[in-house]
Amino acid sequence: MTTPTPAPKGKIVCTHVSKTFIQKGKQEVPVLDDVSVEVQENEFLVILGPGQCGKSTLLRIIAGLETPTTGSVTLAGADGVAREVTGPGPDRGLVFQGYMLFPWKTVLGNVEMGPRLRGLSGAKCREIARHYIELVGLTGFEDHYPHQLSGGMKQRVGIARVYANSPEVMLLDEPFGQLDAQTRIFMEQETVRIWQAEQRTVLFVTNNIDEALFLGDRIVTMEGKLPGRVQTVYNVNLPRPRDFTDMEFLRIRQEIIDASQLTL
Amino acid sequence: MSSSIANETTCSFTDRRPWTLRRVLKTRPFLYAVSLFCFFYGWDFLARSLGAEGSSSLARPLEVLAALVDLWDNELAELKLLGHIWASTQRVLIGFSIAAVLAVPIGLAMALNRTVNAIVKPLFDLLKPMPPISWISISILWFGIDETSKVFIIVIGTFVPCLLNAYNGVRLVEPELYDVIRMLGGNRRDEILHVCFPASFPAIFAGLQISMSSAWTCVLAAELVSARSGLGYIIVQGMNLSDPAMVMGGMAVIAVVAYGTTLLLTALERHLCPWKRKIAGL
Amino acid sequence: MTAYREVRVRTPLALKILPVLSIASFFFLWEFVVRSGIVPSTMLAAPSDVARLFVVKLTQADPDGALLQEHAWVSIQEAFTGYFLSLAVGIPLGLAMGWFVMAEGLARPVFEIIRPIPPVAWIPLTIFWFGIGLPGKVFIIFLGGLVPCVINAYVGVKMTNPTLIQMARTYGASDWQIFRQLCIPSALPMVFGALQIALACCWTNLVAAELLAADAGLGFLITMGRRLAMPEMVVLGMVMVGLTGAVIGVVIDCVEKRLLAGIRR
Repeated sequence: MTTPTPAPKGKIVCTHVSKTFIQKGKQEVPVLDDVSVEVQENEFLVILGPGQCGKSTLLRIIAGLETPTTGSVTLAGADGVAREVTGPGPDRGLVFQGYMLFPWKTVLGNVEMGPRLRGLSGAKCREIARHYIELVGLTGFEDHYPHQLSGGMKQRVGIARVYANSPEVMLLDEPFGQLDAQTRIFMEQETVRIWQAEQRTVLFVTNNIDEALFLGDRIVTMEGKLPGRVQTVYNVNLPRPRDFTDMEFLRIRQEIIDASQLTL
Repeated sequence: MSSSIANETTCSFTDRRPWTLRRVLKTRPFLYAVSLFCFFYGWDFLARSLGAEGSSSLARPLEVLAALVDLWDNELAELKLLGHIWASTQRVLIGFSIAAVLAVPIGLAMALNRTVNAIVKPLFDLLKPMPPISWISISILWFGIDETSKVFIIVIGTFVPCLLNAYNGVRLVEPELYDVIRMLGGNRRDEILHVCFPASFPAIFAGLQISMSSAWTCVLAAELVSARSGLGYIIVQGMNLSDPAMVMGGMAVIAVVAYGTTLLLTALERHLCPWKRKIAGL
Repeated sequence: MTAYREVRVRTPLALKILPVLSIASFFFLWEFVVRSGIVPSTMLAAPSDVARLFVVKLTQADPDGALLQEHAWVSIQEAFTGYFLSLAVGIPLGLAMGWFVMAEGLARPVFEIIRPIPPVAWIPLTIFWFGIGLPGKVFIIFLGGLVPCVINAYVGVKMTNPTLIQMARTYGASDWQIFRQLCIPSALPMVFGALQIALACCWTNLVAAELLAADAGLGFLITMGRRLAMPEMVVLGMVMVGLTGAVIGVVIDCVEKRLLAGIRR
């Protein structure tokens, strides 16, 4: 796909991505329309939008699980050369909204899945897995099965599993959507802590404005109806850890709310 | 049939009330005891009143027990009771193992490969509606009346549920789990190895449970038609000797042994699938 | 977002042809194996022989004493009598066991004693009791269908959403009202599931009963085929049993879909 835009500088570059699903074999449902997004190296970018606005589809396209109808996604590797995304790969890690842990594997087994698939030795896999289990604060739970864990703990396993595969880009698809409000705030703080400990390029999809403001370097908002389009990009230059009652925080929050009501 | 959520929420709050006669009358253990007493007493009463008329077609519970003791001590067709139990169990185990070893891989292959599915599924659908017992006659024509024909019937009877459950087990796997494997860098082989197989395990075991009860039905039917040993043979002998106590004793042993094999499979499953949540079910 | 999944519209041509090819080659191989004498004709009949016998048996009662349709009619009569009896007894019993402590406490132990005994094992006893006529076979079939009916109805009631039960209680509904207006409707899908399972059980046990104690019926046809050393009659009997069972299954399925159209989703 050739595009007239200048050579992309970012880590992930989506250029004019559109996606149309075919429902029941006939009806066409446009989900994304001409979306262009850039994510820089080690940036924490949040895509914010209400339910059913195509943001998860965008993430799945970047993950390589869906192919865009038009447009393209490129990802710059460790060597700095941008390559087009054609399918899923271990250079991107996806954290799922529904946790998607393997119920037949223990916490340790889930986390060491990625290294194991890459063919590392058992001892090495376990060492990596233990490191990330410790990072997400689940030491002592290695031999538990997912059904014995709470929702927050499950998602920590999901995050550790992706980190253990050391991807260049982390993709998180409303990872805390199923958690209660208090656990959610705690997990957000943990996410910042883990991100600061293990610098990565992060693309985080959410429908929660506070979560977006608490986490993101930049926030891309999407229009609240199909097909999804990029609405505005906000730069959040607040120091971390952020305060939910900070004046600047509240000012941007109000700005986003006002803007989003135009399209809802 | 374990207790369910509905039951717990409706009953858990009544436990603190004092014990009145009405409440004792409604507790489960008491009702179970009443039920069992009524069952055995009614059976005994019926057997006695029928027996008074001369032709006894129902044995009293104690007569059944005596018949069992008799079978335990004395030989029937050169085998004591344990020998007959083993004869039947052996047939079930052999037939069951053959069927499981054949059917589970075929079922998995059908679910994983569309070409295999397109070839095997129609044949399977063609043969499926025939009850396994209807194969007895043809298996006697093919294999005579020895062990092979009985094992063949059991294989036929257990094949269908094994295959169906392996097939459906794979097809009902959460599709996003495949996405996880692909995101972690796995290929098709990893998807099959790490998702399909473990995910279909509980369904396969459910199929084995169904197969097990089907296998007992088949072995009995085969032994009723023609046999020199086994639990079905005991029943047939009881019938030929007009001895209802022996028939009912045989039925009781069948119930116990069939129940035992079910428990064994359940224990095996619990051991092999520690991740499976306890599901309130059958 | 998962609501919109891409739907693959066309299947490759090969996958459409393969099933037909598979069935055709199955029959061809069967015919060939018998005709060429690889399998002796005393053990297996070729499909063409079975088809011929099918036509002949429609008008000729010999050598087993009845026309094919008469055999089928006898079997259907037995199966349906037993089937409906098991539905009429099993479903109300299961529903009551699921909701009323009294019913469960009294019926459960006896049910658990009877459950592990395969219905086939009852055959000798029923011959004692009823001889080899219709009632004996109906009894066997009834026992076969009873267990799945009770279990499904029981589980269906137990799976009623407990929050809905509590909601009904806050509205002041009595036990009986909850049972009638909440538990029974919510158990219906499971109960209808039992219709198919029970039918399969009934049909299997019908064949067993007829193999051992009968003077007419499709199972009897199979036995006679073996006694007369006519493999084509054995196969015809098997095919008829399978075919009739499948047709009844489809009919029940249609009825079920009609009745459940409003309830299931």
